[in-house]
Amino acid sequence: MKDCANYSVIGKRLPLIDAVTKVTGEAKFTGDLFVPGMLIGAILRSPYPHARILNIDASRALKHAGVRAVVTGKDTAGVKYGALEHLRDEAALATDKVRYIGDEVAAVAAVDEETAREALDLIDVEYEPLPAVFTTEEAMRPGAPRIHDHVENNVSLSLHIPLGDVEAGFARSDFIFEDSFETQCVAHCPLEPHISLAACDGGQIVLWSSTQGPFYLRRDLSLTLKLPSSKIRVIKPFVGGGFGGKREMTAGDFCAALLAVKTSRPVKIAYDREEEFSATRRRVPMKIYLKAGVMKDGTLVAKRCRVIADGGAYNGRGPMIVASGASQMTLVYRFPHFLFEGHHVYTNNPVTSSMRGFGNNQIRFADDSMMERMAKELGIDPVELRLKNVRRPGETSLMGAKVTTCGLPECIEKVAERGGLHKKRAQNGSGGNGRQALLRGFGVASAAYISGCKLFFEHDSSAAIVKLEEDGSVCLLTGASDIGQGSNTVLAQLVAEELGIAFEDMRVVSADTDTTPMDLGAYGSRTTFVAGNAVLAAARDAKKQVLEVAAERLEADSADLEIRERWICVKGSPQRGMTFQAAVSAALNSPDGKSIMGRGYYNPPTDYDPRTRRGNVSAAYSFAAQSAEVEVNPETGEVRVINLVAAQDCGFAINPMATEGQIEGSVSMGLGQALYEDLVMEEGQTVNASFSAYKIPSVRDMPPVESHLIQTIDPEGPHGAKGIGEMTLVPTSPAIANAIYDAIGVQIKSLPITPEKILAALKEKRACS
Amino acid sequence: MRRPEPLEIFQPTSIREAGALVKEKGPGGRFLAGGTDLVIAVKEKSFSPKYVVDLKRIPGLSGIREEADGGLKIGSLTTLREVEISPIILKRFPFLAQSAAEVGSVQIRNRATIGGNMANATPSADVAPALLALEARARIAGLNGERVVELEQFFRGPGQTVMAPEEILTEIIIPPANPSLVGEYIKFSPREMMDLAYIGVAVAFVFNASQKLCEKVRIALGAVSPTPMRARGAESLLEGQVLTEELAEKAGAEAARECKPISDVRSSADYRRDMVRVNTKRALLNAAAQRPGKWTERRDRRY
Repeated sequence: MKDCANYSVIGKRLPLIDAVTKVTGEAKFTGDLFVPGMLIGAILRSPYPHARILNIDASRALKHAGVRAVVTGKDTAGVKYGALEHLRDEAALATDKVRYIGDEVAAVAAVDEETAREALDLIDVEYEPLPAVFTTEEAMRPGAPRIHDHVENNVSLSLHIPLGDVEAGFARSDFIFEDSFETQCVAHCPLEPHISLAACDGGQIVLWSSTQGPFYLRRDLSLTLKLPSSKIRVIKPFVGGGFGGKREMTAGDFCAALLAVKTSRPVKIAYDREEEFSATRRRVPMKIYLKAGVMKDGTLVAKRCRVIADGGAYNGRGPMIVASGASQMTLVYRFPHFLFEGHHVYTNNPVTSSMRGFGNNQIRFADDSMMERMAKELGIDPVELRLKNVRRPGETSLMGAKVTTCGLPECIEKVAERGGLHKKRAQNGSGGNGRQALLRGFGVASAAYISGCKLFFEHDSSAAIVKLEEDGSVCLLTGASDIGQGSNTVLAQLVAEELGIAFEDMRVVSADTDTTPMDLGAYGSRTTFVAGNAVLAAARDAKKQVLEVAAERLEADSADLEIRERWICVKGSPQRGMTFQAAVSAALNSPDGKSIMGRGYYNPPTDYDPRTRRGNVSAAYSFAAQSAEVEVNPETGEVRVINLVAAQDCGFAINPMATEGQIEGSVSMGLGQALYEDLVMEEGQTVNASFSAYKIPSVRDMPPVESHLIQTIDPEGPHGAKGIGEMTLVPTSPAIANAIYDAIGVQIKSLPITPEKILAALKEKRACS
Repeated sequence: MRRPEPLEIFQPTSIREAGALVKEKGPGGRFLAGGTDLVIAVKEKSFSPKYVVDLKRIPGLSGIREEADGGLKIGSLTTLREVEISPIILKRFPFLAQSAAEVGSVQIRNRATIGGNMANATPSADVAPALLALEARARIAGLNGERVVELEQFFRGPGQTVMAPEEILTEIIIPPANPSLVGEYIKFSPREMMDLAYIGVAVAFVFNASQKLCEKVRIALGAVSPTPMRARGAESLLEGQVLTEELAEKAGAEAARECKPISDVRSSADYRRDMVRVNTKRALLNAAAQRPGKWTERRDRRY
């Protein structure tokens, strides 16, 4: 491990830079913003899962007192938007058809929210209902209703990736395991719903949005509004959580902008909780058919993985999510033969897309569940089986991922050692007072993840400017989006460390397309790694400049100078120096009037081939393992997670407290996805579209979480750091599922693992024995 | 949110005035107590009462009183939080306090009232089974005076009670109880808090701890029929008997037979029935094992 003792700002447990602002309520989120003259908008959504729009008549709505404008698909250019050009299938407002309940049909701007919502009822839409499909089986059946005219059998993307010779691999394996798994649809549940506020200002549209990436959003707005990107400015205020759900442009963003242009008034559109649950993006549910060949001693030989993904009505990021499953399968454990087959299928359900983990969670649930069964049936300790096949540093995966640093073996050992402690404790005995003894189980799961990727653009770049101010403070301008995960804090720590100043000296201005440099946004666990390297480059540039000024004043060579605790001096002679502030001020107050600004950008060195989907997609890979211990009540099927240990190869923890925060938040999310959460659908309608019906864990359901940070110091990462935002979640559900399997002796292969499923499984087990 | 329909709000200062207002204004009005059901119905479920009669200005409707005969009277505007932390209730009927503590969050319980909770007549209301097991009665005031009905007769269906529109629930009366009365309420829901009951079971009986004899056994169930209900078959199995694990199991099975659950987004009917069986047994054994004045943590009640 790297000696961190020499660092003064990074590697420290600092509270978030905006913690006080948030705790006192001073922080302004998009919903808190008011612009004089502001109108309130609302969106009309389709009540049908699949229908042709024959006519829209907004005249009654327009006559309603207080209504200022209505827009429909006819007021738009009908441009399809999305990440990759060939997969674009969705317009911001429907033009010809609606494809799910909640699909956006029209938008209203009015003097207040109540008037806007009333006006929605006054828009007369004539629909011709079409036959709809709600499962992938129905959708793929020959003769099924076609959801998009250009896509046959409703399969928008099919992948066939053969690596090695999978059949030969199975043939020489001692044992074959085969199973199918199913993951459910879950919601992101950010505390702050999607909100957009647009205003016209000096020939520009200014949009404040609860987005995870203003530059990405500007690109989609420019495309759909048919305006040059310079005519659009997107600002991200404080954001109350995204978890992948705020990555894509929403109809709210688009309609706020369009209505602002149409009315020449600012327009705010805020989704309510029901819209949030029923009409925004959600996790891609997958059916995963897995076959694995293994030798007697537990050595993996071959795997075949077939994924059928319910993409909902539009692609979103769904096809790439299916593809990322192939990378995940080959990254965590090693084996020479692999065949991946993936299908992204349209249905008339709401759109499934990006969510923390991006397809990896689904795959890991299936794969680590099968590893567990393999271990049990081969009579090998599940931890040993994993360690036998685990990814090691310096290897290249079958899909082409070049793994540099990898702490996965250590992670697995750590969670097994720490998590196993409880299992060794005496069992509960009979339970007493008429109770059946609780069933106790222990389970482990692993995960691997990228640190940024080049799946969507030719580049994966981020840029930064570091301005040194006359009073000795420093202002960092970064395009990176802090959505609550703490990137502003981590980036400020990197700059402060580089410049030898205090964390308190830092200010961060971020995520504004006009005032900050470019960054693609908070996704792909890229911010610490990519933006971190960019701000480091900018800080080094600024440091070079300020040292040149100081060198002149101190009559020394700038190469001999260092900055520590705001003091610039000749290395080894601390008395020969000047304050950082004095140097910055001297530069400005010289005949030159030199204002010091450092610039930098970073684009990870990767070589991914989008055609073959092979290659090194990321410049670094993070790894993690978690172990869970559960108690299952055999009479009710209830599960209580009594302990969770997480070990995270984060490269280097720039802020260990923030890293642990990611882990703890993930455990709560993963616990919900393992045990409670499920968007229940009936004919395309979300049945439980509220927090009272859709259950996320409460504080009392949380197990104690023990976090271990494994620091592998990645050569490419900023001071060795790698991305961790998503992968902390990936192993949680499979670890809990494996612990339940260990406890009850039956494997439940679909999420969530409800008490009812457990009781049914126990009953079946009793009937069989 | 959508604009609520315009409505009139009245704040009478006597029961008589409140009843007269309803009589005069006619159907379509609602009484307002804590508002934790009504306000949400208006805001989120597009419920639009024509008028609202706020009961909070009427004096004397809240508070918990111990009667000379050992009974308790709980004013209808007493908050669930007051029920939860009342020293008298905690001492005499801790499981009633526990049932109140199961509702929503502390913030909700600081507003929600016991009368509102009963008058709203939700099948899953947590306090109802505990009160049924205590054979509580409801005092109802109308324009022509008062009447008292057994709480079991008070509920008529989901959201329906025996009260006429102008009648007001003023008080919950808990009759005097034997000092050896023990009881337990189990709310069964996989999430530990802020959840609706999949099922609820309350039991109360006079227990001779040395001989393990049960008398005056009352078992009440929530969320498994259109109204909170008594499980009389299960009660009679236990009456005058020595409580054993086997008998508790039998009583649970009988309660499961008696209830009439439905399937919904929370749970299937079969699972609910099964949970009535398990938790009735659990509640009986827990109650019998209880030390007086002890509060059992929620998880330990079920596990």
